[in-house]
Amino acid sequence: MLKVTNLTKEYNSGDNKVIAVKGVNLDIAEGKFVSIIGKSGSGKTTLLSLLGSLDKATSGHIEIDGKDISSLKNNELVQYRRNKIGFVFQSYNLISNLTAVENVMLPMLFNHASVDKRKNRALELLEQVGISKEKQNRKPSKLSGGEQQRVAIARALVNSPKIILADEPTGNLDSDTGEMIFNLLHDLAKKNKTTIVVVTHDLSIAGKTDMAFKMSDGSLA
Amino acid sequence: MNTIMLGARNAFRNTTRAISIVIILGLVIALSMIMLVSYQAVNTKIKDVMSSIGNTVTIKPAGFSSFSQVNNALSTTQLSQVKRLKNVVGVNEYLTDRLKNTSSQSQLGFGRTNKNAGNTNLQSPITINLNKIANKHRRFFIAGGGSLPTSFSFPISIIGTTNTSQISGANIKIVSGSDINTNLSNNQVLVSSQMASKNNLHIGSTFTAYTSTLKVAGIFSAATRTAQNTILVSLPTEQSISNQSGVVTSATAYVDSLSNLSSTTSAIEKELGSSADVTSSVTQANNTVKPLNEVLSIASYSLIGSVIAGAVIILLVMVMIVRERRREIGILKAIGASNLRIIFQFMSEAFTFTILGAVVGLIIAVIGATPVTKALVSNTSSSNVSRSNFQRPTPGGGFRGGFARQNSAFGSISANIHNIHASVSWSLLIYGLLAALIIAIIGSALAGWIAAKISPSEAMKSE
Repeated sequence: MLKVTNLTKEYNSGDNKVIAVKGVNLDIAEGKFVSIIGKSGSGKTTLLSLLGSLDKATSGHIEIDGKDISSLKNNELVQYRRNKIGFVFQSYNLISNLTAVENVMLPMLFNHASVDKRKNRALELLEQVGISKEKQNRKPSKLSGGEQQRVAIARALVNSPKIILADEPTGNLDSDTGEMIFNLLHDLAKKNKTTIVVVTHDLSIAGKTDMAFKMSDGSLA
Repeated sequence: MNTIMLGARNAFRNTTRAISIVIILGLVIALSMIMLVSYQAVNTKIKDVMSSIGNTVTIKPAGFSSFSQVNNALSTTQLSQVKRLKNVVGVNEYLTDRLKNTSSQSQLGFGRTNKNAGNTNLQSPITINLNKIANKHRRFFIAGGGSLPTSFSFPISIIGTTNTSQISGANIKIVSGSDINTNLSNNQVLVSSQMASKNNLHIGSTFTAYTSTLKVAGIFSAATRTAQNTILVSLPTEQSISNQSGVVTSATAYVDSLSNLSSTTSAIEKELGSSADVTSSVTQANNTVKPLNEVLSIASYSLIGSVIAGAVIILLVMVMIVRERRREIGILKAIGASNLRIIFQFMSEAFTFTILGAVVGLIIAVIGATPVTKALVSNTSSSNVSRSNFQRPTPGGGFRGGFARQNSAFGSISANIHNIHASVSWSLLIYGLLAALIIAIIGSALAGWIAAKISPSEAMKSE
């Protein structure tokens, strides 16, 4: 389902050339919950950016359902991000002046879905992730960290993506809330057969996933 | 909620900043609209003034004056050259003279003094209280003292013409009989109803002028005393009976359009050289509208300047906003927004600012357009108008009445140029909205371009 071959990302930092991702190979089946652990600066977030086509690899290939995304044009990459990928960020990254439900509706707006369809889907997902009705119309600043991350997960799921890429999804949460978020992601993966790749340095999370990779100095161990 | 609504809502994320931007833009848009209103009002006034002057060129012999007499008369040959000039659509020729009543007192300072001075047995219909005038102007009227005349008649103007529709710029209307054929030397004459009444003339009556007998073909009515004291004959008739073959004392050339008036005046001057004084009203009109043209320039530059200022303000604001929202733009791209949609969103935000600014600007413009326009015209024209009035050429001779009226007309135009009403029309509202749209598009273009360049990986950067 997700196949990464010899993926490398280099960039220049001043006069130095930094190899953030060094010849990474991965093969993840559909519906698997995968964790990538590693220290800060090991290249795991860069790898996630490459998988989500937020950044371009220096070399190597990423195949989703047999299609190499490194050969896609810019507008095709937009489609790829919109329809195949859902992102969950460490700092939630909700749009501050939109309500919870509007944040969830947003990716569907980019897909030209009707207002009713967007709203019904968003409310359904917010129910699924445990955001109560009275909180659905609150702006992010009026929600707790755990609630914001639930909204972010609902937003990531709204276009029914094949893969969810989560960058330290529990990093800003206390351990109980973090576990709740992890369980939520885990349940969704099983229920919707969504492939989930989580980047974390929380070893307790890594131990509960279907597959765990350790990343060090840009390489997977 | 769609992209446009998203952009509109984003405009109010920071209420204080949004209000400040709207007020600043409002002032700039108000200035641009006021300048546009001023431009339109002043331009309309200039067109009114220019269209009121008529597209005629007056041609007189150099140094001509009715009292100094014809020194260098024009000729029909010269004027035939003028008729051939480009843009000249017609030339009316005149030979003007004065006839003394044979019984009038010779010591009075009226009338023609040349060797060919003509006489007539007609009495002028113009009556004046000589005693009243003489008490005021005793030296002028009474040569060497003596008593006032008892059988005085004003000299009568005789005009040989190719155009019987006007006398010295005043329209006449034939009320009985028929018009004369201006191409023939047939001794037929048109007289005013006052002249006919004074001298008991009817259609077919005859009287003497110079040494010839003229026959009344028609009687006309005219509003001016100058015209009432004038008899009209064809140009060939006057040239024949006054023994001035081929002589013309003045002519009026008609130009095909006002825009060609200035160049055609110059062409006629060049054709006739130093033998003629060629004048058109365009010079006086240009002097009169000169301050308005200055206002027009001020309005044009201010309009362009304020539109540019508006665009620069919105550009800087939008660039600042885009820089502030780099991360958010990255997030939008990460969750599937295209560059185009993000650009539209920022354009929508910029358009929200400019529409609100346009509303504020329109309110200010409605209130301020007329006073500002009047202040501009008043300040710019106060010195120029008085100067242009002094610069009017002194008119001469038989056309004094006409020029007097013309000067009077220009006096009223000069005074009237302050009477400008600047109003905000529907078309202006559309222009205002278009200007706002242009400001928004130009102002948000750079911001949109910067937004498009932002990488979606910005979303991954920690705050």
